[in-house]
Amino acid sequence: MREPEPKLSLPVAGRAGRGGGGLHEKDGDPAFLTTRVEAWIDAARKNSLWPFPFGTACCAIEFMSFMMSHYDISRFGAEVVRFSPRQSDLLIVAGTVTDKMAPVMVRIYEQMAEPKYVISMGVCACTGGFYRAYHVVQGIDEFIPVDVYVPGCPPTPEALLQGVVKLQEMIARGETRYQRALAAAKAAGA
Amino acid sequence: MDNREQTVAAIRSVFPEGEGVAEIPGGEMPAFRVDRGALPALARHLKNDPALDFKLLLDVCGVDYPGRDERFEVVYHAASLERGQRIRLKVPVPEGDPVVPSLFGVWRAADWFEREAFDMFGIRFEGHPNLKRILCHQAFQGHALRKDYDPGQRWLLRETEQDDMPAWAKERPEDADHFETQVLNLGPSHPATHGTLRTVVRLDGEIITKAEVEIGYLHRCFEKMAESHTWNQVIPYTDRLNYCSAMMNGVGYALAVEKMLGVPAPPRAQTIRLILSELSRIMDHIVDIGANLNDLGAMTPFLYMYEAREEIYSLLEACCGSRLTMSYVRIGGLSHDVPHDFAESVRYLLKRIPTLIADMETLITENRIFRDRTEGIGRLSAEDAVDWGWTGPCLRACGVAYDVRKAYPYLGYETYDFKVPVSHGGDTYARYLVRVEEIKQSLALVEQALGRLAPGPIIVDDHNVALPPKEKVYTEMESLIWHFKLIMEGMKVPAGEAYGFSEGANGELGYYIVSDGGGKPYRIKVRPPCFAIFQAYPHMLEGATVSDAVAMLGSFNVIAGELDR
Amino acid sequence: MMTRDVVVCDAKPLGTLQRFYLVEVAKGLAVTLRHFLGNLFARQYTVTVEWPEVKREYSERLRGRHILLARPDGSPRCVACYMCEEACPAACIHIEAEEDPASPTVEYEKRPKVFTIDLLRCVYCGFCVDACPKEAIVMSRTHEMAFAGRAEAVVGLDELLQNGPYDRLDLGYRPYFGAPRSRIELPIPVKASRPPG
Repeated sequence: MREPEPKLSLPVAGRAGRGGGGLHEKDGDPAFLTTRVEAWIDAARKNSLWPFPFGTACCAIEFMSFMMSHYDISRFGAEVVRFSPRQSDLLIVAGTVTDKMAPVMVRIYEQMAEPKYVISMGVCACTGGFYRAYHVVQGIDEFIPVDVYVPGCPPTPEALLQGVVKLQEMIARGETRYQRALAAAKAAGA
Repeated sequence: MDNREQTVAAIRSVFPEGEGVAEIPGGEMPAFRVDRGALPALARHLKNDPALDFKLLLDVCGVDYPGRDERFEVVYHAASLERGQRIRLKVPVPEGDPVVPSLFGVWRAADWFEREAFDMFGIRFEGHPNLKRILCHQAFQGHALRKDYDPGQRWLLRETEQDDMPAWAKERPEDADHFETQVLNLGPSHPATHGTLRTVVRLDGEIITKAEVEIGYLHRCFEKMAESHTWNQVIPYTDRLNYCSAMMNGVGYALAVEKMLGVPAPPRAQTIRLILSELSRIMDHIVDIGANLNDLGAMTPFLYMYEAREEIYSLLEACCGSRLTMSYVRIGGLSHDVPHDFAESVRYLLKRIPTLIADMETLITENRIFRDRTEGIGRLSAEDAVDWGWTGPCLRACGVAYDVRKAYPYLGYETYDFKVPVSHGGDTYARYLVRVEEIKQSLALVEQALGRLAPGPIIVDDHNVALPPKEKVYTEMESLIWHFKLIMEGMKVPAGEAYGFSEGANGELGYYIVSDGGGKPYRIKVRPPCFAIFQAYPHMLEGATVSDAVAMLGSFNVIAGELDR
Repeated sequence: MMTRDVVVCDAKPLGTLQRFYLVEVAKGLAVTLRHFLGNLFARQYTVTVEWPEVKREYSERLRGRHILLARPDGSPRCVACYMCEEACPAACIHIEAEEDPASPTVEYEKRPKVFTIDLLRCVYCGFCVDACPKEAIVMSRTHEMAFAGRAEAVVGLDELLQNGPYDRLDLGYRPYFGAPRSRIELPIPVKASRPPG
């Protein structure tokens, strides 16, 4: 079967660049103290992620397991699930995203506070999985930037925990798409 | 005179031969080819004649036959709960004038099913009050389940196009007294919708005066995908219909195909299917009750019950290697045998689950806050429930003792001793009580089935249906050839049609399957139980408050994967 | 057909004590307190798996990342027959075959030139394992995966091919001979994993 292609051109493709506006430095010379402070802030951010569970399908059920006593995400400091995008910084897209749902997801992503990170949970969200079909988005990175892809149909809770740990490492190293975009914006401004 | 002859005679007494109602001989149930003009009168007769009594409309679906003169066919399935009789009506529709009279005036259950047939095939139902797309989005063009539609053809929905409120929501209220009227949009991403449903309500103060539901946010094109995969490859897709109880969907599908093949699964496979199905039912009810309580503010019971769910997961993982989406069922049996200590583990679960359920019951069942929030909320009478096409625990909570496991036993349910829980409240609290009792009955069923688990084969020994055992494939040429043929071409299911149904966690899960004799299904229509249940929701909301809406929604157990497919 | 074999579970009217509410609160608190104290003082019964330091015992049939098994000489057992590619409902396997240069000397004539699996397409249903006539593709119990990009999830022959004795590989779902070997232990057992590195 051929890879389905949308008829119309996609209006949004990588929005990472837009996020950089929030944290401009007045004078472009990052002193020792400010870099230390940034590292410190990143450490705080990585250990207190506030996930927004964008659960649509089967993966949302495994997301529940991930929240519940057996796996208990609070051990990683990310148990405060917020259903308001304004209060969360980690979007976990758990489940199939259809063409009908995609604009909703984009709006939620845009409403989230910066800095924001995205975990794509499950193969449907990552690539469309085995739904190579007329109503299914073939990977949410058509619409929003994704930091971590977690495979599995649905992924086991351990796999999702692995995804969160990987995201934490990426935040500590400044490798998330948001941080890279910010760094690029700074470099361009300096 | 048996039931079937009686049905045919009662129809013939009003619609004699040659007046647009022709009997189709043979088949699993009485079937008629009906002209479009005669359909409304026949439907009304079927419903209202006490000798026929087809009160429950199960399914409306379209089928596309591009080669025929009259290209489309609308297929109706109805049932009489009192008489235990089913009927199938087929209405041929030409491509040039795809219009069929709507049956919404006869059975309200036809509401969403007709909209779905319109969405998927472009068949217009004349007289339907709200005929518009239901599963696909507004910018979608074409009709996806027509045979000439390319499965990969997507259409992009722009953000500006998606936010259409129903027409009534845009109107200004004519009455000056309703100065507090406002329109509220719940979902599709909302904590209380757990899943992807959208409800638009108009509020007068805190009372809902009008509501409309938008679904299709998880339309994953199961039916189109099934047409391009072999019969066995459809099984992973069925797991993702009602993902809270994946096993039962696969069992229902396999039973339907086995019915067409005439190859029943061996007894051991049937018993294992039954045990795992009942454990899946428990899991499903746990999620439903827990999510409902969670919406009402009671987090603790969900945590306790989820421990039971995790332990059932471990059992499933040991049997088939996956926690949630099992892919364990094969047509003709199971993919492989259960582990050797299966029985002990299930016995452990039989001891463990009741303690956790008891904890939950202590916290909730007699809790006054919970009862005040749920008693009398979302009440529906038995007649209305049947008219809307309800089945399963929601119907039984309205006082109708209909359970497929008792009425049309499969997997040997008739040999087990279990009772069907019934409540007469018809409200959210009654649905909770019925589900809790069903968990207990399921545990009793599992215990009995465990005692009967005799050794034996787990899949039929038929090289047209099942893959040969691996050791033969590695060593014998003939088995290798059969193996190769099955993988490459798929099994050949005899041409024909069947409606296979089983009791899913939410009610009657039906598969209407059409085969053209090839290696792939020609058409699979799923009759999802919560589709019928959920279509009554906007009508039940009128007069309720927003907080009631949340309590009701949780008790319906609407699983988006099954609802939208 | 309606059944008469029913158990009626209608709502019971609330008693005075239940109406009074405080007794029910006390009962509920007793349940939660029992769980709380149990978790506090009897840690061995706490259900939480302290991942990643401790892992639970996984099923022997767990369907994780794929492995291509090798012959004793290190070449893949795969003969590029396309059965797994055909059986895969997600169409995530891609094979290109070539003539085995050693074909006159060995009994196999073909071998895979390219064998890739898109781990972000795969639904881990195990159909490829069922389809393989040579026991070349099996599944491991590696399921804790996370990728930073879609390209790195497409794994080829180098990553998939595993040499070494079977008992060293953490094999999961694979064809069975004779009696099933897997074991279920409930409550879910946890074991200390090997120290990292």
